[in-house]
Amino acid sequence: MADTSYPLKAHEAPDFALHAIAGGNVRLSEHRGDVVILSFWGSRCTPCREQLEALNRTLATYRSAGLQVYGINVDDDQTRALAYAHGESVTFPLLLDPEKSVSRSYQVDNLPMTLLIDRNGVVRNVIRDYNAKSEELFLQQLRALLNE
Amino acid sequence: MQYVLSFMKAWSRLLLLCAFLSVPAASFAQAATKPKAAAPAAAPAPAAAAPAAAAPPSTEAAPAADAATAEAAAPSAPDAASPPPDTRGLDQEVQGLKKDVVDLNRELFVLEEELLFPANTQVAVFVSMDVGDFFALDSVTLKIDQKEVINYLYTPREVEALLKGGVHRLYLGNLKVGKHELVAFFSGKGPNDRDYKRGATLKFEKGIGAKYLELKINDRQRKQQPEFEVKDWE
Repeated sequence: MADTSYPLKAHEAPDFALHAIAGGNVRLSEHRGDVVILSFWGSRCTPCREQLEALNRTLATYRSAGLQVYGINVDDDQTRALAYAHGESVTFPLLLDPEKSVSRSYQVDNLPMTLLIDRNGVVRNVIRDYNAKSEELFLQQLRALLNE
Repeated sequence: MQYVLSFMKAWSRLLLLCAFLSVPAASFAQAATKPKAAAPAAAPAPAAAAPAAAAPPSTEAAPAADAATAEAAAPSAPDAASPPPDTRGLDQEVQGLKKDVVDLNRELFVLEEELLFPANTQVAVFVSMDVGDFFALDSVTLKIDQKEVINYLYTPREVEALLKGGVHRLYLGNLKVGKHELVAFFSGKGPNDRDYKRGATLKFEKGIGAKYLELKINDRQRKQQPEFEVKDWE
C-alpha cells in the first residue's frame, strides 16, 4: 500500500552509484528524464521475487515510454543474490549494496520496498508491501507519471 | 569576512529578485485571465437575442428587442474583436529576471566554493584517461594521509566521457600547509578482460596556494599494460 508517512516522499531521491551483478556501475542521477523504479529486495524474501517478476513484466510494457527499473539487493551474503540473478531471467539490472549505504539513505524498513521516482528525480511514491491490489494501484500511479 | 559579506549580499539580491518575480507573475496571470473575464460579458448576448428570435416578427416589440440585443451586444463586441493583450513585454521582463536569478545562483555557487575551500587550503584531484585499450576503469579509491577520502564508481557513460578527453574532478578538499601523501587505487578490467587493481602514490608538499593533482591513466604500448601516474600541477 502507498505510504504517506515516508520521509523522502516529495523529496529529491538521494543519488547513488552501485555495482550491477551483470557488470558495470549504475548511477541514479544519469537517469534524470526517465521514470525510475527502485525495488529493494532480499534473496530469502518470497514476495520480493514475485515483485521482481512483476516489475520485469511492467518494464517490458513501458520501457519505450521511458521507464527504468533497478533491483537493489540488501543481502549480507552476496552469493545468494548472485545465484538468484543467474537463475532468474529479469531483464533489468540487479544492483549490489553490500555496505547498505543506499538502503540506509532510502530508509528501507521493509522488504520488498519499492519506490517510484519521477522524471525530475523526486520520490513520488513508496510501496512497502506487495499484493495484487497494491500492484494495480502502483501501475495506475506509474502510468500517471509516465504521462507527465 | 569579505566572502561572508559578499555571500550575504548575493543572497539578499536573490531574495529581492524572487520577490520581484512574484509581481510580474501575478500581473501576467491577470493579463492572461482578461479574455476569460470578457467571455461572460459576451455570453448574455445570445441569451438576450433568444427571446427576440422567439418573438413574433410583425410586433412592435421586435425592433425594441433588437435594439436591446444590439445594446447588449455592442459593449461586448469590441472585447471579443480586440486582440489579446500584448504580454510580450511582460514575458521578456520575466525572462530577464529569470536570467538574473541564474546568474546570481552561479555567483553564489562560486562564493560557496571559495568559502568552503579557500585557495590557501584547497586541494583538488582530477582523473584523466588516455586510449584505454588495456584498461577499463571501474572505480578509483583515494587516500590522503592514509585516510580514505573518496571511493568513486565510474559508469560506462563516465568512462566514455573520459576516453573522449574529459577530465573528472574526483575530489575537492582542504589540507594544511606541509607534506602529505596521496595514494590512489584503480580497479577495473585489465588486458584479456582480467580483474585488475593497481595503485599509484605521490608525496607532495602543500604550499600557500591551491594544489591541483591529476591521476592519469595511460596505455603503455611496449608492455601492453596500463600505466597509472599521479601528476602534480605546479
